[in-house]
Amino acid sequence: MEQSEVMERVVKILTPWVKDEGALAKVAMETNILEDLKVNSARLVDVVIAFEDDFDIEIADEDVDQVNTVGDAVNLISGKL
Amino acid sequence: MTANVQPEGDSGMSAMKKRHARQRLVSMVAGPLWVGLSVFVMRFWYRYRIADVDGIRAQYRAIRAQSDAPMLICANHLTLVDSFLATWALGSGVYWVTHPDELAWNTPESTNFGRTRRHRLAIFLAKCIPITRGGAREEVAGVLDRVRHLLVNGETALIFPEAGRSRTGRVEDSSAAWGVGRIVGSVPGCRVLCVYMRGTAQETWGDFPKAHDTMHVSMACIEPKSDTKGVRRSRDIGQQIVRQLQCMEEEYFDARQ
Repeated sequence: MEQSEVMERVVKILTPWVKDEGALAKVAMETNILEDLKVNSARLVDVVIAFEDDFDIEIADEDVDQVNTVGDAVNLISGKL
Repeated sequence: MTANVQPEGDSGMSAMKKRHARQRLVSMVAGPLWVGLSVFVMRFWYRYRIADVDGIRAQYRAIRAQSDAPMLICANHLTLVDSFLATWALGSGVYWVTHPDELAWNTPESTNFGRTRRHRLAIFLAKCIPITRGGAREEVAGVLDRVRHLLVNGETALIFPEAGRSRTGRVEDSSAAWGVGRIVGSVPGCRVLCVYMRGTAQETWGDFPKAHDTMHVSMACIEPKSDTKGVRRSRDIGQQIVRQLQCMEEEYFDARQ
């Protein structure tokens, strides 16, 4: 799967949890999921589980420690496909 | 590449253990001072009371005596001083000074307590490991690692599984923090002591309970289990803890109707 396709699906999955829609409009690989998109940190786990379901992969707790930006999520998922 | 990363991880863990041992020692030595001062302020300044305090403390000691398994205390969260009040409810000042490893470590929000040098000194002495909720994942993971480390080594921690004070004034299922589940799931045999605490005059969340308020405390010891894996397992365990607190809250309000 192309990275751009993963990115597109990641952004689509993130959308319901994003509180700053302005930041979502100009989302990039460097966009911070918690600070820029204002996703509630307690809900990050739901986002990760949505990644698991959508991409049919398994993500360990420790993997999530590396995910700060949208690009981190894209790279994590791409590495598991 | 792995060969380069591993030693860094080891040295990071070693540094964390040294930092933890240092803070533990200083907190223990200073215990009579800060524990005594805390109890004095709660009891004589704010004049808080704990309903059936002897029964609550006896129940806590009985739960403690049941097993040497690691124990994480999880409480509902309404005010900035809940950890002090819950700790005081479970044991007297003298008890904590004479049982320093049972005295729970806390994980206060660093933006609330870490702003000034005096605050930082106070939370260092008072067995606190500040955490920035929503902060960098590596930093949060470091705190979780430290809590796991202290539990495995027979110490106790107190965490608020709702990841913040309940903005509705009620235990919120939707805000269950998965980090709590992650800690419990990674410590074999870990028990969770759920503590529900609410003042008679406490209708919702705030900074402090009203002076002269009487705190009502109930507790239940559970061992959450989950058949799922990875982050699902952590979320599942975290939700079980929050649901237990919700049940205790229902019992609290049912008893007062």
